[in-house]
Amino acid sequence: MPYNIAMISDFFYPQPGGVESHIYQLSSKLVDRGHKVVIVTHAYKGRKGVRYLTNGLKVYHIPFFIIYREATMPTVFSFFPIFRNIIIREQIEIVHGHGSLSSFCHEAILHARTMGIRTVFTDHSLFGFADAGSILTNKLLKFTLSDVDHVICVSHTCKENTVLRASLDPLMVSVIPNALVAENFRPLSYRPQMGERGLGVPPRIGPNDTITIVVISRLFYNKGTDLLIAAIPRILATHPNVRFIIGGSGPQAIDLEQMLERNVLQDKVEMLGPVRHEDVRDVMVRGHIYLHPSLTEAFGTVLVEAASCGLYVVCTRVGGIPEVLPQHMTTFAKPEEDDLVLATGKAIAALRSNRVRTDRFHDQVKMMYSWTDVARRTERVYNGIKGAISEQEFYGHYPGASWDAARGRTRSFALIDRLKRYYGCGIWAGKLFCLCVLIDYLLYVFLELWWPRANIDIARSWPKKPVPHPDAAAAKASRNTRERIRASS
Amino acid sequence: MTPLPPLPPTPIPPPVPVETHPNRAGGLKPPLQPRVPFDPTRLTPEHAYYAHSPPRFRPQLENHAVHLRPLDSVVATPAAVAALRPPPAVPGTEPKKHDPRKVRGSARRKARKGAWKKLLWVKQSYPDNYTDTETFLDHLQRNPRLRPYDFWPLVADLTVIVQHVCSVTIFVCCFVAIEKGASPVSVVSWGSIGTVLGWILWDFWVWKEQEEAIKALQATKGGGEVDDGSSASSTTSGSNLVATGPQNSNQAENNVHGLGLNLANPGSLRRCSTGLSSPSFTSLLSINAPSGPHAYQLFRERRRSSLSSRSRQRLNTIKSALLIYCALLGLSPILKSLTKSTAEDSIWAMSCWLMVINIFSFEYGSGEGADATKFPASLSTNAALMASTVLASQLRSTTHVFSLTLFSIEVFGLFPVFRRHLRQVSWTGHLLLTFALVIGAGGGVGITLRGGWAAGIVGAFLGSLLTAFAMGGCSWWLISLQKYKNVVTGPWDPARPIVRTHWD
Repeated sequence: MPYNIAMISDFFYPQPGGVESHIYQLSSKLVDRGHKVVIVTHAYKGRKGVRYLTNGLKVYHIPFFIIYREATMPTVFSFFPIFRNIIIREQIEIVHGHGSLSSFCHEAILHARTMGIRTVFTDHSLFGFADAGSILTNKLLKFTLSDVDHVICVSHTCKENTVLRASLDPLMVSVIPNALVAENFRPLSYRPQMGERGLGVPPRIGPNDTITIVVISRLFYNKGTDLLIAAIPRILATHPNVRFIIGGSGPQAIDLEQMLERNVLQDKVEMLGPVRHEDVRDVMVRGHIYLHPSLTEAFGTVLVEAASCGLYVVCTRVGGIPEVLPQHMTTFAKPEEDDLVLATGKAIAALRSNRVRTDRFHDQVKMMYSWTDVARRTERVYNGIKGAISEQEFYGHYPGASWDAARGRTRSFALIDRLKRYYGCGIWAGKLFCLCVLIDYLLYVFLELWWPRANIDIARSWPKKPVPHPDAAAAKASRNTRERIRASS
Repeated sequence: MTPLPPLPPTPIPPPVPVETHPNRAGGLKPPLQPRVPFDPTRLTPEHAYYAHSPPRFRPQLENHAVHLRPLDSVVATPAAVAALRPPPAVPGTEPKKHDPRKVRGSARRKARKGAWKKLLWVKQSYPDNYTDTETFLDHLQRNPRLRPYDFWPLVADLTVIVQHVCSVTIFVCCFVAIEKGASPVSVVSWGSIGTVLGWILWDFWVWKEQEEAIKALQATKGGGEVDDGSSASSTTSGSNLVATGPQNSNQAENNVHGLGLNLANPGSLRRCSTGLSSPSFTSLLSINAPSGPHAYQLFRERRRSSLSSRSRQRLNTIKSALLIYCALLGLSPILKSLTKSTAEDSIWAMSCWLMVINIFSFEYGSGEGADATKFPASLSTNAALMASTVLASQLRSTTHVFSLTLFSIEVFGLFPVFRRHLRQVSWTGHLLLTFALVIGAGGGVGITLRGGWAAGIVGAFLGSLLTAFAMGGCSWWLISLQKYKNVVTGPWDPARPIVRTHWD
């Protein structure tokens, strides 16, 4: 059943980044599956109004005041009139917000619930519980997620984090990882293998060949630049035939350069500066090992990209990283200098002994992650909240009835029920949130009177050829498999 | 989860609803016997909210499953779970055939077939919102570095704060007395006599410590060559560093800094040697291996000419004291007219705030570790001296101004150093000093408010009573607040990198 979906986030193209590409890829795959998707974001420099992207993807750039790193000013209510207009004009049924730092997304979820529309939220990042900024963000997150219909997280660690931060029912949170466009991350000498696998001769690395280690990350503290700075001279001292390529910029780039100068390593370490996302593949294929010393990471798409390019991955065991890649593609290290040096040494030795079949990585990664899969799984979430699949099937059957289950998991739109949910957010915050919701509701009633629905034009959909549903073939195959399994068990 | 009779196993493995926030429903309906039959071996998110939940440990699944099964219809034994988990017929999560290569060669192959894994790259036959009760929030830790306080040590530590507050009170009382007509010269004379006595004591302690340090050095060196000693110490420094990581290296920096001062200016040795309590001294020697021989030679030289150097030090101190004295004498007339154009009210307000800043920013260091006898933080000393200068400028004559400023230097500049040292050297002395200060402050307040000796005695009595109650009450309060401490850490927190090499 096709839905009309609005993706809402502060972060979208032309600004590059992980959330941005996630929204774009997911939207275009959902469009392929027959849904109608519009993206709502704020106006970027020189980009205001309505734009169309490939595939009839419509983007609304709404002029708003930006405070910090492309996040808009949180003004709870001022977004409502234009938001309501877009929702009615596009006949939206599901509002899907992205990014916990985007106030646009939080406001949209609040208004959508007021208007009686189902909402989904995707969390892309991890937050602690200790510092003041996190506490504020977590309270805000609790506000909007008190009344959201479903939440999507990019990794299991991220799910645990979000469940704790917003006090959610874990069954209301799905884990759907990021993905990559595998065609854009092919190894240098890649031939699509047909028929017999593994017949291609793997590239051999001799004992004296140069091994290149690639690092591409923004050079921030939380990306582990300190570890990198400490580890590079020691790795180079113990392994003479090793070179580094470092891409990315940031506040700690200067520290890195100082280290290079002090140790006179300029001929062994190449600093590229900022690398555009479309050039990442070209940098990666120059190396053999990808080193990722990050200190926190919700998913780590760059690791998947590196493995897809045929690089052996050395990374720290933090956040959601251990879930991302299978063991034969990675060497894990503790976030310590010594262990990182050790792990890199192990990886170099493994490559030199030609035990790692890096030439097969691309095909394997291609089977693990794809945006089509992500879109399919996201569609199941949409089906679940819209009631296309039954509640019991979506949330599972559980005998011990719990607090939420008694009234059903589907969140009703009745104002009194919503107020009850918000009221539980905290002694003071609960009352404040209730007040906000009430004002929002009054604003909605006022808008309905002042600017009646009948006066708002309905936008025409992008003309589309009827295409066979991409699931049709897969469903048939899976039905066969299921029957086979049932027969065998 | 209410206790229910065990249901027959359902075809779909039941994803178990985990209570996330029991408080949330609290305002709406009475919680149905909240978390009565909870499994101590598993973590539910309520562990993050309830302080009295037991500490986490890995489940002894077989044992617990036996008596938990009647309560909790979720079967806990891994084998049973595996048996209960045929691929569910959930559309949209069609079980895909695993690429055999993905699993080959990895340890995952040994895992139970069909069991849920906390991995993203495996296509699993579970719905995306499946919550695995065994691994969900597995790595969550509550209050991992909690160190519970004890009552008496806390009270003992409070004495440091009491001492400082009392000395500030005494200073303020003295100011009021001087303004009311007490002789400033007598106040400053008593203060100076105390200071000189304190200095003599302090000098004695420092000297003793230095002697011990040299002895320790000799013991380290043994009968061998200078180079041997340094190399041996460098190996110990290595192990030291590995053991304690960044903290120790920080300490090392401090000590090296102290040694640098030492080499540069032998006259100021007494300053840095206060930083050399015996354990940190050995670490200094071992860490600063390259300059070890040099340092040793310096010490040996010092020992040879020990007498002369000691007296030279004292001479230096006296010289600087005289210098300050003369400078103050010269500055007093200027200080006197400093705030002539400022209203009195603003002076009182300003000095009040400055004193508050002094009390709050004062370094009440724990007396252990690297910053054992660092000198007081400059902010608090500066605030106090500024307050006293501003106050002094309100007084009548140049003598008054001079006396009060000198007294403030003694109280805020030198007295804290002495107190710090006394606390390290003798605990009894520290306690006696605390009592004396409390009684002095109480008496001072009494005399200031009412006048007369009787009021002073009553004030001293009331003051000590009040202080005792405050100390006990605050300690008890802090301890009782501990149960609200709820630090949640988990794999989502940014890791703390451990870096050994420092490039500076």
